[in-house]
Amino acid sequence: MADKILAKDKLGDFLGKLQADYEVYAPQEVEGKPQWAPVEESDKVLWDFSNTHTSPKDFFFPQTEIMMRFKNVQDHENGMVMEAEPPLANKRLLFNIRPCDAKAFQVLDLIFVQDEMTNDLFWKDKRDKTTLVGLACSDPCPSCFCTSMNCGPASTTGLDALVFDLGDKLLVRALTEKGEAVAEGLDDAAEADQAAAEEQTKAAEAQISSSVGMDKVNERSVMELYEAGMWDRVYENCLNCGTCTYVCPTCHCFDIQDETQGESGRRVRNWDNCMSWLFTMHGTGHNPRGAKKDRVRQRFMHKFKYIPVKRDGEIGCVGCGRCVLLCPVNIDVRRVVNDMNA
Amino acid sequence: MKSLLEYVGIEPGRLHFSWISSAEATKFQETVVEVTESVKALGPAKHMIKDIRKVA
Amino acid sequence: MEAVAQKIRETAAKLLSEGKVDCVIGYAQGTVPMRDYPYFAYTPEEAQNLTWSPFCCNNLANFLIRRPKGEIGKVAIVAQGCVSRSIVGLIKENQIAREDVYILGVPSPGMVDRRKVQDRFPLKTITEVTVDGEDLVVKGKDFEERIPQKEVRRDNCYTCVQRNPVIVDEMMGEEGPSDWGGNIDAVAAPWEKLEPGERWEAFIDEVDSCIRCYACRDACPLCYCHVCFVDEAMPQWCGKTQDEADVATFHILRAFHCAGRCTDCGACESACPQGIKVRRFTSKIEKDIRELYDYSPGMDLEATPPLSVYRPNDPQEFIK
Repeated sequence: MADKILAKDKLGDFLGKLQADYEVYAPQEVEGKPQWAPVEESDKVLWDFSNTHTSPKDFFFPQTEIMMRFKNVQDHENGMVMEAEPPLANKRLLFNIRPCDAKAFQVLDLIFVQDEMTNDLFWKDKRDKTTLVGLACSDPCPSCFCTSMNCGPASTTGLDALVFDLGDKLLVRALTEKGEAVAEGLDDAAEADQAAAEEQTKAAEAQISSSVGMDKVNERSVMELYEAGMWDRVYENCLNCGTCTYVCPTCHCFDIQDETQGESGRRVRNWDNCMSWLFTMHGTGHNPRGAKKDRVRQRFMHKFKYIPVKRDGEIGCVGCGRCVLLCPVNIDVRRVVNDMNA
Repeated sequence: MKSLLEYVGIEPGRLHFSWISSAEATKFQETVVEVTESVKALGPAKHMIKDIRKVA
Repeated sequence: MEAVAQKIRETAAKLLSEGKVDCVIGYAQGTVPMRDYPYFAYTPEEAQNLTWSPFCCNNLANFLIRRPKGEIGKVAIVAQGCVSRSIVGLIKENQIAREDVYILGVPSPGMVDRRKVQDRFPLKTITEVTVDGEDLVVKGKDFEERIPQKEVRRDNCYTCVQRNPVIVDEMMGEEGPSDWGGNIDAVAAPWEKLEPGERWEAFIDEVDSCIRCYACRDACPLCYCHVCFVDEAMPQWCGKTQDEADVATFHILRAFHCAGRCTDCGACESACPQGIKVRRFTSKIEKDIRELYDYSPGMDLEATPPLSVYRPNDPQEFIK
């Protein structure tokens, strides 16, 4: 499909039409911060923002997710009735998602949906029913380093369509069938608009001021990196809180628990994180990651070595910079990776 | 604790503290009556309830 | 400010080169604006990275207890009023020994609340913040503005009652005034002003963005339990879900465990990625402690913490 053009003052009509088929969400100002929220008025949709405060991963991987419910029933042959949670009722559309967040979901697809045996129904259901319309970055932050992480301000991976903000109009580029369904009916873009979008992307790429080296990380063996002396300093001031993992679009660890109330109960999975000692605590009392250093090392090794080794060079980080901004003790992932790469 | 719970909006009268010796049977009986009456008067608890049953 | 930083660097380098301490815990300049971070200097060269600024929002006393025992010997630590009070608390609770810590005392300038600065520039990206006398110079891509520091300090810094360290081995600057004139009792426990029926809603409204990362707990020098109550698995006191009751339980109990111990350093609020005003709980508890026992934690190495002793005249109005 050719690139399409949409006048910004027609956005209300455009989104209104989509709302007949989708629940539409977009970044809006909530309590002073850019946050994901259902679109009610199209003029509340943000255009001039860096990225949402927290990542949109909870659209696919909610912090607390019910997996099934169960109930003791005496006269049932199993003594118990189990009931799956219903799948997502409606199609959803995330409008103006940043390319880095969409890229993160493509990385997570490789983990949640691998083969017949490793096929996370909860993740897949929501992914299948959600359309991602991205907004290319024209003004990346100093904390962004996407271009070092297989990503970029106009990266299309994981997106169904990509929108370029050209001031009073939007260039809409459909990338998948889902995206074509969204762009259908719009007028074709002029060549000048396409050129403007390309120019904007080049300028944005040039504006990304921080870069991270991965060449030596890729070259070195797992054990060489694991035993590197730099870990002795990285963890020193870490609080072992879960901030970095919970604001991260690619961190995806969880804990499954059964909760009961009387004769009935539910199985829930909650976000968990490798910074917590409890996460790896064994029933025997042994903890393979018993020390803070082990846990801090795990987070970075997982993202920058284990995932690349197991997933054909994909990196478990997209360079969104949220952890850089929100870590209470300024453990800067760029500095850590550069140390790993030194 | 009592003060903190009331501060966050738990009704006064839901949490009671008493010091009763094992020999004070009457005081125990009176306190139980008082506590149950006070809590009954407040009705079912509205806060700090985790109901995991499916909402019908 | 820079003179204090220089003095810290010089003193730290001297202590390290003379072998008086193995490590100096201070702050270094962060990689993002307004986020100077806890830094461990082991050599006189590393001591040159130490800094002192209104962006030092972590409580360094935290790092006296969160290190594996025996890993470092004697340490020097940069301590302003609240941090020194936390050190006093840790000594009283037998977590550290006075002789193992060499305290480099600094008068606190009052720390800047980075959220208050960000709120002046909604949705904009701040690229640089520098200190110029009493002002901050805030720069972004298309703006540059001066903001008086006194307008954007952390809430707890306005009502600080002891900006100067209460125990010290060596001062890194002249003692300043002990407070800013703010009255903690006037602003503590803000929900007391609400009707009882409105409080729960205010409470839930405050914590509903909580992501259970526990940064508030982990940033706190009081929270040194080997196993925190939220991490207990048998029994599991607190559910792991985002259910209102689970989140509420965490916040109420975390605060309750700090009763009679909190020095109002504000590290919890500064650490929270969601900007939750967690001091609304601890300020209530400490106000009660002041009213009931006339006690402020960490002010005096000799004073007995009221909740660790029984006195026949302890208030007991709550017991029937």
